[in-house]
Amino acid sequence: MRAVFGRWAYEEVQTPIIERFDVIERGLGEETSDLLFQFNDRRSTSLALRPEMTTPVARLVSTRMREAPLPLRLAYIAPVFRYYEQPQEGRMRELTQAGVELIGAAGVDADAETLFMAIEALDEIGLRDACFDVNDARVVDGILDGVGLDGDAAREAKELIKQRNLVALRKFDRPALVQFAQRRGHHGAIGIARNVCRTPESLAALDALDVLLERAAALGYGARVTVDFALLRDLDYYTGFLFEGYVGELGFPLCGGGRYDSLLPRFGFDVPAVGWTAGVERLLIALERRGKHLRRRAHRVDVLVAGSDVVAARERAAGNVVRYAGSDLGDEALLDEARAHGIPRVVIAIDGTVRELRVGPRVGELPVPRTPSNWDAR
Amino acid sequence: MSRPPKADGRLTDALTIALPKGALYHDAATRLRAAGIDVPEHVGRKLTVTTADGTTLLFLRPSDVPAYVEFGSADCGIVGKDTLWETDRNVAELADLGFGFCRLVVAGRRIDRYHEGAPLPTFLRCATKFTRSAETWFAERDLPVELIELHGSVELAPLVGLADLIVDLVATGTTLREHDLVVVEEIAESTARFVVNPVRFRAKYDAITALLDRLTAVPA
Repeated sequence: MRAVFGRWAYEEVQTPIIERFDVIERGLGEETSDLLFQFNDRRSTSLALRPEMTTPVARLVSTRMREAPLPLRLAYIAPVFRYYEQPQEGRMRELTQAGVELIGAAGVDADAETLFMAIEALDEIGLRDACFDVNDARVVDGILDGVGLDGDAAREAKELIKQRNLVALRKFDRPALVQFAQRRGHHGAIGIARNVCRTPESLAALDALDVLLERAAALGYGARVTVDFALLRDLDYYTGFLFEGYVGELGFPLCGGGRYDSLLPRFGFDVPAVGWTAGVERLLIALERRGKHLRRRAHRVDVLVAGSDVVAARERAAGNVVRYAGSDLGDEALLDEARAHGIPRVVIAIDGTVRELRVGPRVGELPVPRTPSNWDAR
Repeated sequence: MSRPPKADGRLTDALTIALPKGALYHDAATRLRAAGIDVPEHVGRKLTVTTADGTTLLFLRPSDVPAYVEFGSADCGIVGKDTLWETDRNVAELADLGFGFCRLVVAGRRIDRYHEGAPLPTFLRCATKFTRSAETWFAERDLPVELIELHGSVELAPLVGLADLIVDLVATGTTLREHDLVVVEEIAESTARFVVNPVRFRAKYDAITALLDRLTAVPA
């Protein structure tokens, strides 16, 4: 995933694991506090372990990166912490998030960039059939307005749409609401929503979704990107585009994100932003279920060196990956260690002589003597 | 047209449906048969069955259905609303199937006259299987209560002085009458619901919405 972040010109940032509670609350709203590991320092300042990365990155950008030229493309791979009463698969108390934030860019171009990047990231790790449902937070408001709900009733209906509770939605006696929460699709579904929506914001959002689908289709993602109007993510800072990525066999999404233009203004920095995050452990669960494991990085060790700092330093200077062995090991033990780690060469520099052993499949390979001058000639 | 799982373990479009054994089973099976799924009339000791069209049926304790659906071990299921209250699992409720009607009520002994407004004791004890719903009900009324979780024959508790009140499901009211108990207040009404895993709703959208349409079609 780091490779994908790099190819899209995103730079990795780090933020403190411990944040002030009021920072997290400002970003996530009051309702998230039961999700927090929260504690006080000795001066009774309320602190918390960060439950996600978007708020800390927003804080960082609004305080220390204000002068940086926009848009900023930032990425992170970082541990976050959530207080779950009962940890379960895909819902661990400590989890790793890998994600990006595109700050200072509005509009469908930026939305599309983050979505396509997420698709590439899941492709990169081998989940090439992952599907992505997209929505826009402004559409649901347009629909609620279109069917004549406002105030508490609208808030309640929105929550029920998010849960896709069709049973409770039927009680509003507005069939369009149920259809809206049930229907997924492409341009056709957008067209049907357009018949209900009246507000300019929601109509603009539907236009943007149309554009997004076209651009996805042009990249060959047409079958993998679907509009789902009931997709409303938990955190309350989303203001526009939303998406979630998933594979069929897992009951929870793998990644998700969207536009949160109202978040940075809460930290006094009035710029739009869009981003997404993936649960690394969830990705690992998905791969493990398929009997795939992430290819280990090709961290091949070129040489095992025993007995000489100088020889080891030379090998490193020559661009080799060097594993350093203890000088108390005999030839056989060194060969065993080299075989165990797939290391092709062993160099032993003890008592002023430098010998190189070739690591063969059999025990008792003949040593190939070399002199220090040979080494200098390399 | 049975479709075996693909070699890499990825899912086919065939559905896995969680069904509750016990009181709801007969009606659930009848409704699914009407929707074209070959559900056996009697489960016996079987845990799971795969029908000729590739649908997998899981036969579960009713209270286990929401967990199977939330974790995606089943794509969807049929379960009483009362069980959804108690388990509070993250599942999407797509349809009220109408059958399995019952009421969750607070009940007490007739002679205690709580149903006629007699004051409740200061140290209140309530026996129930439905601790979550009961806790919510008493909390909303700001009544301190000691909840005693029982697993069967809750109606015995007030008769032998274990509890002042019970919170229990009532279908016809016969059991209450037989023990000279009366409803103090109705908490909610429950019927069977068709529920689905939120992500599987998307991943198997066509199969699930087709089943939803057939389950909710008005019987001819």
